[in-house]
Amino acid sequence: MLGRLMKYEWKATWKLLAPANLLIVVTSFFAWLTWRCMRYDGYDMSNAAVNLAAGILLVTYFLSMFVVIVGSAIYLIWRFYTSTYGDQGYLLHTLPVDKHHIIIAKVLVSTAWILLSIFLMYLSLFLVVGSTMEEFGTVFQEILKIVVTQSYGDTGSAFVVVMGIITMIVGMLARVLKVTAAISLGQLSSNHKLLTAFGFYYAIYIVQQIIGAIYGVVVSYFTYRAGDGALGMMWEFNLITGLVYMVVFYALTWYVMEKRLNLD
Amino acid sequence: MAPIVQCMGLTKTYGGKLALNRICLNLERGRIIGLLGPNGSGKTTLIKLMNGLLKPTAGEILIGGQRPGIDTKLHISYLPERTYLQPNMKVMEIVNYFQDFYPDFQADRAYDMLARLQIQPYERLKNLSKGTKEKVQLILVMSRNADLYVLDEPIAGVDPAARDFILRTIVANYNRNATVLLSTHLIADVEGILDEVVFIRQGNIVLQAGAEQIRRNEGKSVDRFFREVFAC
Repeated sequence: MLGRLMKYEWKATWKLLAPANLLIVVTSFFAWLTWRCMRYDGYDMSNAAVNLAAGILLVTYFLSMFVVIVGSAIYLIWRFYTSTYGDQGYLLHTLPVDKHHIIIAKVLVSTAWILLSIFLMYLSLFLVVGSTMEEFGTVFQEILKIVVTQSYGDTGSAFVVVMGIITMIVGMLARVLKVTAAISLGQLSSNHKLLTAFGFYYAIYIVQQIIGAIYGVVVSYFTYRAGDGALGMMWEFNLITGLVYMVVFYALTWYVMEKRLNLD
Repeated sequence: MAPIVQCMGLTKTYGGKLALNRICLNLERGRIIGLLGPNGSGKTTLIKLMNGLLKPTAGEILIGGQRPGIDTKLHISYLPERTYLQPNMKVMEIVNYFQDFYPDFQADRAYDMLARLQIQPYERLKNLSKGTKEKVQLILVMSRNADLYVLDEPIAGVDPAARDFILRTIVANYNRNATVLLSTHLIADVEGILDEVVFIRQGNIVLQAGAEQIRRNEGKSVDRFFREVFAC
């Protein structure tokens, strides 16, 4: 049944999120075209109308990416809430399917959409800005090199890439599950379910910040003593905490759906 | 064979408010049963507990001898008192959805009923009137070969012609070995099809009897008797 749930979840979200992601591709093409023209030798920098048009195009490009990323996240949160605990929940929770399958289907599809949008955004930025500004590419590479060295140490590049991708996916799954857990915990309230959900989200955020701060202080102390100045163990920390958060948030979501379901 | 529904000391509270008070109730198979009571009497709460949409505060509810779960959902066909379908789905997509998840769903039966009502399969649900949406939901629910049909207020908010269709559809399509539990406060409209009635008031079962038995013993219709029992 997991496959069927994922199929319908994908179909339901596809209608809105596919065109939204297509918007990133389309605006990226026009932004790339505009950027190329602006760097062309024959480009008339003194022509105010052309400058304005180019400016509007580029602003539209950055704005559309922002709207798509933020809008997709808001839509997926709203969809989880309405399809799980709203009117559509009456159908979802009377299907003869395991609650684990419901959670996994929704979380995997939501995470896939967000990762796709982020991937498209980075690809677009790289192609639009990176391909037309050589100095940008060089600076970007240097920053990346510093971040990678500080986070992973001088390890092989293939290992760095694989662990980076795994850490990113785990982190994204944990973020999505944090939202599903907060919304689910909000259902424990009789009258103020949404407000309670926001409260739980904020509380979880605070706890995560405290854990991150404690880790930061401890690591800074030891790396200072070692005298290497590196952040050290950063990706291991992100991966381990990501996995722990995933398990905790998943368990909370499942507990409410299986044991404490109370549809109004 | 065990009753299709067994409630043993079933209690449900919302916050501190008592919605169902230690209910003990058995519903037998092969009957059309009216769950009758005024608004706020606990009908919908009892129905949600049967479907696993709520958890009991105390006591137990069994469907075919099992606690509500995946197995019982295979045997219950549930019509809630609200639209639970995605509005942007086409009717045919919803039929496919039911076919994918319920092994006892009869797509042919659904399409046959849709055709008789001239509801186009490629029409999106959001473009249909409220009454037509309710008919689509009822068609989906009655196109299953379930052991228990639970219909929560199926005739509330629809015109008299639609009510006739809904009642005809229920009688014509339910599995004869199955039980139909029909919750309503519009008793006069459904009285003719009921084998048995359960009166519920403020979370308590006040009567469970055969419809014919009430008419014979009380010398009046179930509707008239209901009005006397629940007189304000």
